[in-house]
Amino acid sequence: MSERSLLELRAVEKAFGGLAVVSDLDLHVDEGEIVSVIGPNGAGKTTVFNLITGIYRPDGGDILLDGVNVVGLAPHVITRRGIARTFQTLRLFLNMTVKENVMAVQYGRTNATVVESIFRLPRARREEREMNRLAEEKLAFFGQRLIGYRWDQPAYSLSYANRRRLEIARATATQPRILLLDEPAAGMNPVETHEMTELIGKLRDEGGYTILVIEHDMHVVEGISDRVVALDHGVKIAEGSFDTVATDPRVVEAYLGLRRAKKK
Amino acid sequence: MDLPLAFDSQLATQLLVNGLTLGSLYALIALGYTMVYGILKLLNFAHGDVYMVGAFVGFGVLNAFGGPLSPNIAIAPLIALMFLGAMLGSGALGVVIERFAYRPLRDAPRIAPLISALGVSFFLQNSVLLLFGASFRSYNSFLLGSDHPQQFVPGPLTDAAFVVNGVNVQLVQIIVLALTFGLMVALTLLVARTKIGKAMRATAYDREAAAMMGIDVDRVIASTFLIGSMLAGAAGVMFGLLFSQIFHFMGFLAGLKGFTAAVVGGIGSIPGAMLGGILVGLAEAFATGYAGGRWSDLIVFGILIFVLLVRPSGLLGTRAIQKV
Amino acid sequence: MDSGNIPDLPVPPDARDRPRVGVDEWVAQVEHRRARYSGLAGLAYRGISFIPPPGRLALFAAFAATLPLWMGRGDLFTYGIFTLLYALLGLGLNVVVGYAGLLDLGYVAFFGFGAYFYAELSSPQYGIHWSSAAAIPVVVVATALLGLVLGISSRRLLGDYLAIVTLFFGQAFVVFVNVGNPTVGGKGLSGGPNGIADIDPLDLFGYELTTRNQQYYFLLLSVVVALVGLHTLSESRTGRAWRALREDPLAAETMTIPVKRLKLMAFAFGAGIAGFAGCIFASVLTAVTAGNFDLPLLITIYAVVILGGLGSITGVVLGAIVINVSFQFLAPENPQNNARILFYAVLLLLLILSLRPWWRLGAVVGGVVGFGILTRLIVEAVAPSWAGGPVVEGGRLAGAIKEWVVIPTPAHDRFGNWAYVCLVVAILILTLVQGWMRTALLVPIVYLAAVVWENSFVEQPAVARWILFGSLLIGLMTLRPQGLLGTPRVEVV
Repeated sequence: MSERSLLELRAVEKAFGGLAVVSDLDLHVDEGEIVSVIGPNGAGKTTVFNLITGIYRPDGGDILLDGVNVVGLAPHVITRRGIARTFQTLRLFLNMTVKENVMAVQYGRTNATVVESIFRLPRARREEREMNRLAEEKLAFFGQRLIGYRWDQPAYSLSYANRRRLEIARATATQPRILLLDEPAAGMNPVETHEMTELIGKLRDEGGYTILVIEHDMHVVEGISDRVVALDHGVKIAEGSFDTVATDPRVVEAYLGLRRAKKK
Repeated sequence: MDLPLAFDSQLATQLLVNGLTLGSLYALIALGYTMVYGILKLLNFAHGDVYMVGAFVGFGVLNAFGGPLSPNIAIAPLIALMFLGAMLGSGALGVVIERFAYRPLRDAPRIAPLISALGVSFFLQNSVLLLFGASFRSYNSFLLGSDHPQQFVPGPLTDAAFVVNGVNVQLVQIIVLALTFGLMVALTLLVARTKIGKAMRATAYDREAAAMMGIDVDRVIASTFLIGSMLAGAAGVMFGLLFSQIFHFMGFLAGLKGFTAAVVGGIGSIPGAMLGGILVGLAEAFATGYAGGRWSDLIVFGILIFVLLVRPSGLLGTRAIQKV
Repeated sequence: MDSGNIPDLPVPPDARDRPRVGVDEWVAQVEHRRARYSGLAGLAYRGISFIPPPGRLALFAAFAATLPLWMGRGDLFTYGIFTLLYALLGLGLNVVVGYAGLLDLGYVAFFGFGAYFYAELSSPQYGIHWSSAAAIPVVVVATALLGLVLGISSRRLLGDYLAIVTLFFGQAFVVFVNVGNPTVGGKGLSGGPNGIADIDPLDLFGYELTTRNQQYYFLLLSVVVALVGLHTLSESRTGRAWRALREDPLAAETMTIPVKRLKLMAFAFGAGIAGFAGCIFASVLTAVTAGNFDLPLLITIYAVVILGGLGSITGVVLGAIVINVSFQFLAPENPQNNARILFYAVLLLLLILSLRPWWRLGAVVGGVVGFGILTRLIVEAVAPSWAGGPVVEGGRLAGAIKEWVVIPTPAHDRFGNWAYVCLVVAILILTLVQGWMRTALLVPIVYLAAVVWENSFVEQPAVARWILFGSLLIGLMTLRPQGLLGTPRVEVV
């Protein structure tokens, strides 16, 4: 591969107390790819996301965005550089409206000062219009579900599936280059899961985002991934196409135990 | 500030004794704050006023038996009854406050019970003011059991129990220290060994999970308030015995210092409250002794702010780990 | 491992036999609507939110501007100027607590700092007499910087610890000014317990504001400007970022919002507003003492902000009006008749708000009156000394009250105290019962409240004021934690 990866993790280490949660992890995501990270619970997948977005600082190793090391930067700086994420347990701004959720996160892209905002000077007004337009555009990506009267409804009134969509919409509003989706299909019924699978593909095809996904539902993983990375106890145990990884004995062992692996 | 020219060991010993005695009071008050915070994450600003009510209940018991000069009852059982009455009265008050001012707000935003607590504080202070008037009431403890009350010759409480380094340690101070020690031991045993203690620890750790494990959370919380308030009530009577004068506003500053002690020791930690109380008491005694009363409060607050900035969770507190 | 079955393509959501987008959401939000629009308060809320913010501002400004035309100078001072000061402080605190969600319990220290600093610059204390046009900006900036310093030092602290540190900062300020009072330049810096007096009146570009009317209009103008500015700020990227920060600081941080910087901005902004209010306070009162800036004022401002619902600018203004007017009505200096009228009016209002259908309300009111008269007649017949006492500061209502409320002669002076204790216990019991028993119990309890008022509160209005204020806080929080005009918030625990 002659091109540099968009996101690259090199020998990343993280331990809490005495417990090594991530060990010597190498991971890369190329532009335009959809990479899935799988592994049993406690494998360290969300920790990897937290490390990439700057919530935790790695004990060792580098995290490179477009060749530039982002270790040690504050999370809001990292997001501005182009990495956006959703949360496994949904962290919407519940008491703000749907549109406000999507507009609030554009803070990093705008520059109007407090004085300009108070006096509604031209730059503030212009940016306000821009933020409005972008919010509507990002929300419209999800079809009919989050537009129209929905704009002014508080986020806590949304159904679960809509909240997941809003969380993704919010992440896209930061105009990232790479999206980190943490279990986007968690808690969804098969119909919604199918929609989510299509949506992720649409995010890459129409939105142009590079996507790194943590997911448990293998249907989704199969449907979207260019590449799959399997983790267990903080260590990468397999990498490759879905079929390669799904049949890898180490992966089967991690999920189902040694006997099942041996049966294969 | 007047700094002494030479190190006076007698002064230091006196300040040490005073500080430990004062620290016992603050530790007892701090325990109430810390236990309630541990279980409800609530800063119970009304706690200082529960302490004040305890002092007044003790005063009521004292007067019911005829006051400090009365020969109706020997002072040992009298003091015991004062403590008992105050602890029961304060304990009941604490339970009632929890039931009516905090329980409806268990699921409300965090600021709501805080404001409610402040309301309770205003309510208690001014109710006592309404009922008892503004003038100070006096335990006149130095006359308790006196042989010559008419001549205002002090009674046995202020006698020196023993002498250390030229410093008189009064009987009343011994009573305070001994009782505090006993109460702390009792509390530690209760929390560590009994079923209710276990239930308290579980509820403090995770209220929902405790409820799902069959623990009656309402009862545990009520017990926590009961115990914390009883300790505060005992502290109130101790104050009356040590310093004689009680007044409706005494809960404010004592509560603030007790709260400081709880935070310095690590709020939510019972040994932390005990340690913090002693530290604050000693700090105040030594600051008053060496720097004068004007600066002692500031020094105590300064210590608090310094400790919090250096070690945000207090000396013995645990850093809350937030799972993302 | 088999690859599983991918289900058929889903049916479009608006198909006949599937849940209908929009319609069913409306049904699902019944609870939400009910909580917003409950009772008379809900009616008020709907009325207020019907008028757009510029309209509300115009109404408020127009009404407030007419005050000096019909209020005496003394009343203008206590009702007009103080309400505006509370509103200004409430608006500043609203930025810190309502927008950014930072529990700052030392807020009035900024108010005090602003007042004292202004006093140092414009009084005989050090012989410096700057004009207000120069002093005010300096004080505001200095106070904002102080807010910044406090914010920086509490960067690492979350929630409750922040509350604790700020609380002690506030207390430290009071103690420093009162008792610390270091000697600077040959004099005590803060004047100790006596404070600083003889402060120059507001002096803007040579124009001195010495009359109450002038001061009032200047303050009103400032408040209007603050209202406009805060409103536009709230609807801007900074306001949204603050609210996001309040909702979930971690999520905000990962969504491009620089949380630490915004917290500092909130502190500084709120402090600056408090500093400005301090300047005006100092120049209007012409004297400042530490006692002005202690906990009771802090709680009052918090009550102002919370009463109206955290985060709502309209709520803060309404809260300031309600709290200050009630306070002043119950002030010791006031003729008792005002307080009495307010007391019975509030009692009646509470009954109106809590008793539906009208016949029930009428029955209770009638029952209270009848019960009272009957009780008094019985007591007078059986034990005359218990019913012959005078009505304190009766005024016009004295005759009616004398027939209705049991007031013993001064020989039974403990009566008021016992009645008070019984009343507190009775009210607690009232909250425990339901249904018709509760309505029935209301009758003797309301009468008992009147008895306590006439026998006890009326003689000690200052104490009564605080008891009622404390009860208001407790009652308000337990019954409606979101404040009068707030919406129920969903909290992530």
